[in-house]
Amino acid sequence: MIQMHAFYIFLIAAGLLIAAFLYVALSTRNAREINMQSAYGLRKLLFFVVLAVLVLGIGMTLGKTPYPKANELPGKVVFVVGKQFSFALSDTPITNDQDYEARTYGIPVQVPAGSLTEFRVMSFDVNHSFAVYSPDDHLLAQTQAMPGYVNRLRVRFDQPGRYYVLCLELCGMGHHRMRGVFDVN
Amino acid sequence: MTAAAADSGLWSEAELAKFRRMTLIWGITVLLLLPILALLGYFMRLYQSGAFSGMRAEWFYAVLTLHSLGMVGTWFVGSMAGVSYLLLKYTRPNLAVSKFVYVGTLLGVVLLIACTLGGLFGTGWYFLYPLPLFAQGVWAPWATFTFFAALTILGVCWTIWTLDLLRAVAQRYSLGAALGWNYLVGKPGPELPPLVLITTVSLIVSLSGFVAAVIVIALFAARALGVNVDPLLMKNLTFFFGHDLVNIIMYLGIAMVYELLPSYAGRPWRTNRTVAIAWGAVLFLVMFAFFHHLYMDFAQPTWIQKLGQICSYLLAMPAGVVSIFGTLALVFAARMKWTLSSTFFFLGILGWGIGGIAAVIDSTVEVNFHFHNTLWVPAHFHTYYLMGVVLIILGFIDHAGKELSGLEEKPALSKLTTALLLIGGYGFLFMFYWGGVNSVPRRYAIYPQEVIQGTLYARIAVGFITLLLLGILLYLWETGRRCLKALA
Amino acid sequence: MHKTGPQSRHRLPFRWSFRAACVAFFAFSVFIFVPVAFAQDSFGQPSQEPPNEERFVYKLTPDVPITTSSGVQNLSAIWHEKPVLLTMIFSRCARVCSPFLRSLNSAVSDAGGLGTDYRIVVLSFDPKDTLADMQRLASELGLNADPDWTFGVASPSDIRSLAAATGFWFQWDSSTQQFDHASLVVAIDRGQLVRMLAGPSVPAASLREVVQELRGKFVASYALAGQVAFRCFEYDPTSGRYSLDWGLALMLLPGTCAILATAWVFFLLPASRKKRNLI
Repeated sequence: MIQMHAFYIFLIAAGLLIAAFLYVALSTRNAREINMQSAYGLRKLLFFVVLAVLVLGIGMTLGKTPYPKANELPGKVVFVVGKQFSFALSDTPITNDQDYEARTYGIPVQVPAGSLTEFRVMSFDVNHSFAVYSPDDHLLAQTQAMPGYVNRLRVRFDQPGRYYVLCLELCGMGHHRMRGVFDVN
Repeated sequence: MTAAAADSGLWSEAELAKFRRMTLIWGITVLLLLPILALLGYFMRLYQSGAFSGMRAEWFYAVLTLHSLGMVGTWFVGSMAGVSYLLLKYTRPNLAVSKFVYVGTLLGVVLLIACTLGGLFGTGWYFLYPLPLFAQGVWAPWATFTFFAALTILGVCWTIWTLDLLRAVAQRYSLGAALGWNYLVGKPGPELPPLVLITTVSLIVSLSGFVAAVIVIALFAARALGVNVDPLLMKNLTFFFGHDLVNIIMYLGIAMVYELLPSYAGRPWRTNRTVAIAWGAVLFLVMFAFFHHLYMDFAQPTWIQKLGQICSYLLAMPAGVVSIFGTLALVFAARMKWTLSSTFFFLGILGWGIGGIAAVIDSTVEVNFHFHNTLWVPAHFHTYYLMGVVLIILGFIDHAGKELSGLEEKPALSKLTTALLLIGGYGFLFMFYWGGVNSVPRRYAIYPQEVIQGTLYARIAVGFITLLLLGILLYLWETGRRCLKALA
Repeated sequence: MHKTGPQSRHRLPFRWSFRAACVAFFAFSVFIFVPVAFAQDSFGQPSQEPPNEERFVYKLTPDVPITTSSGVQNLSAIWHEKPVLLTMIFSRCARVCSPFLRSLNSAVSDAGGLGTDYRIVVLSFDPKDTLADMQRLASELGLNADPDWTFGVASPSDIRSLAAATGFWFQWDSSTQQFDHASLVVAIDRGQLVRMLAGPSVPAASLREVVQELRGKFVASYALAGQVAFRCFEYDPTSGRYSLDWGLALMLLPGTCAILATAWVFFLLPASRKKRNLI
């Protein structure tokens, strides 16, 4: 899971930093003059190491964005509207409040497992965040729901089951109870 | 520091005494705001742990708004007051401006308290358009108006303060000298203290942030008059302003460390070509890194998203290679005077680094897809705030308090304070990080079934916050006592 | 002579027969002509709503064999090279087909991308149309020499399955001796329908949007009710083009103001101009 990988990287890097600070703090017990040239040399080395790590990080991750790619086509489209305080999902466009009400309480949209699904997400009022949680409650994918824009989120669902949608952008007093639902089968 | 300022020939003793007094007033105000705002944070974590299940969730969101804006504002004024004080050695900030800003800040704080605790205004600190106008009956129009009035007053005052400090720098240094350009071209020139360099960079950035805030408020007014405004533009402007503001607060704190830590280490920390290049790079990169707040706005052009990641990553270079390494090189095997202040400076840089690592990780688009608006976000910014710039500013207030009161600290108490702050602080932070890893959303008053583990994490965090608050109280007792004595 | 009495009863069967015949004729009318009267609607005007894109978007298009001037080939042979804009007409059309194709051609010239981003396939749904008929139609429109326009025919069953999958419908109207049919063009990318444009003509702005989508981009913004002020890039649906808007200037304003304010402080303020101990 990507969250755990990121966490391990964080722990390792933070651990190295803490170790360096601890080492330096303890070194003050034996005060002595330091060779500035050695320090500058070490800084130069650090510069190249950090630059290499950052460039490697950029190289490995910059191509893996969640934005729709031209070389892939979804198999299904789901229309989503966020509004204070619920998400409505539908197989057909939700164009007005009546559609929104009907789809908020309607039977969950069915999404096929294994095929790429495109969520076309927008909002009727304020910013929301359409965040898809897997049946085992991990944040799988998200995009912002905004008035005036349609964000297209493409996700492939391998695991069948009921998926819940939570709102991850503060949208008012009902922010924490705002949700949507769909089924993958 | 004031001895050095007195020796600079820029001030008379009477003028210095007045400035010292104003600085102490700022310091004491920060020390008063800190426990109040910290208790508001405590309330939030308690609410999330289920302690106030009978209380309406609207209170959580109102307290969230006050806590977040209050903290950002407190540390802004704390860092500006600190930098003003330290600049006395080099130039002449205007005391009248400092007093004017103080009154304006108090007024802004009162209005903020009124609209949040009085009016239940609950949009969070970045009041993302058009949420302030969609109250759903929770807050009244007067609360919205008061909120924007508070922001306007604070913004105007803080812009004037920024311009005044820039004016003070300009009175002694040319623009090129203030930005260290002579170091870049290898020309011999005036010695530029890192404090002046970093302050100049920070002030220019904060000016751009305040202009963005003015535009945002003006466009909200346009919406109130019936003109729809583009939400994506508003989001870009809002995060440009917010990102700039929170970053320059940290940079001003770093500037204080560059200025004060050398005296504890018994070694100088001078500007050189590397330092000048680093901070010139910061001036440029920080203007574009804010795009990392909009990764999940898929309507934003993809090239802008990638630019945001590249700039966010590259910002780690001056921070890590120059400032953090510089701190370590300064302290390594030095005849270090470990006091509460110097310990806080040292640990503050560490906290800034750890928070920065978490920030760089989250500024990766692919990772942000899973971390955006989860608890990882408050985890990283609380790290480089609470365990970063807050420690630095508290270290500065302690330093100034000792200098001006003549009272020394009690080492055992200082060690206890530091231990409580470290254990309580990092324990509280770890629960945020762990929450983010486990997909718990941020800014939830109540955790639903899908993320019910958030409630448990909040309960554990409450335990650590209790330790943290004890540490803060000990600090306030000791340092507050010294500041009050110095003021008397 | 009009006889009454028992002798008149002998005339009743004729009257009753006449009445019976009238009733029978009336019943015949009701049972035969009323359904015909309802069916009259399907002859006189389109029987279906304009097809909704969302019902068909991303659905797979049947890969049917078509006969063109290059011989018999499957549709996939064309869409594997490039996305396809597919439309269906018939060559004997006296109404909308030629104007529709002319407007499509005009929109294509305006929007660009023909040959590089997509090709166009025009099929007939009329079982009587031959390849020669379609080539004659292409020639009348001046498109027979254009390699990126393909005119062809297919078997009636293949046409029906293609129409069902892409929203086309057509119905014979014997009163006018013409087909009533939908006017639409669908964009097919790698065998999947991605966009649909319905209407008697093809606006260039709409086609520009479709071409963008075939390139993997799409227009993310839509008009909010009321005047929207200050986007960075404003999309004009009537022209199908983006233009710079004042929002971009607003984004550049903070940095610009910071630079100007810094310049003012350092170069223009009197106190800065006469610096003490300038170092």
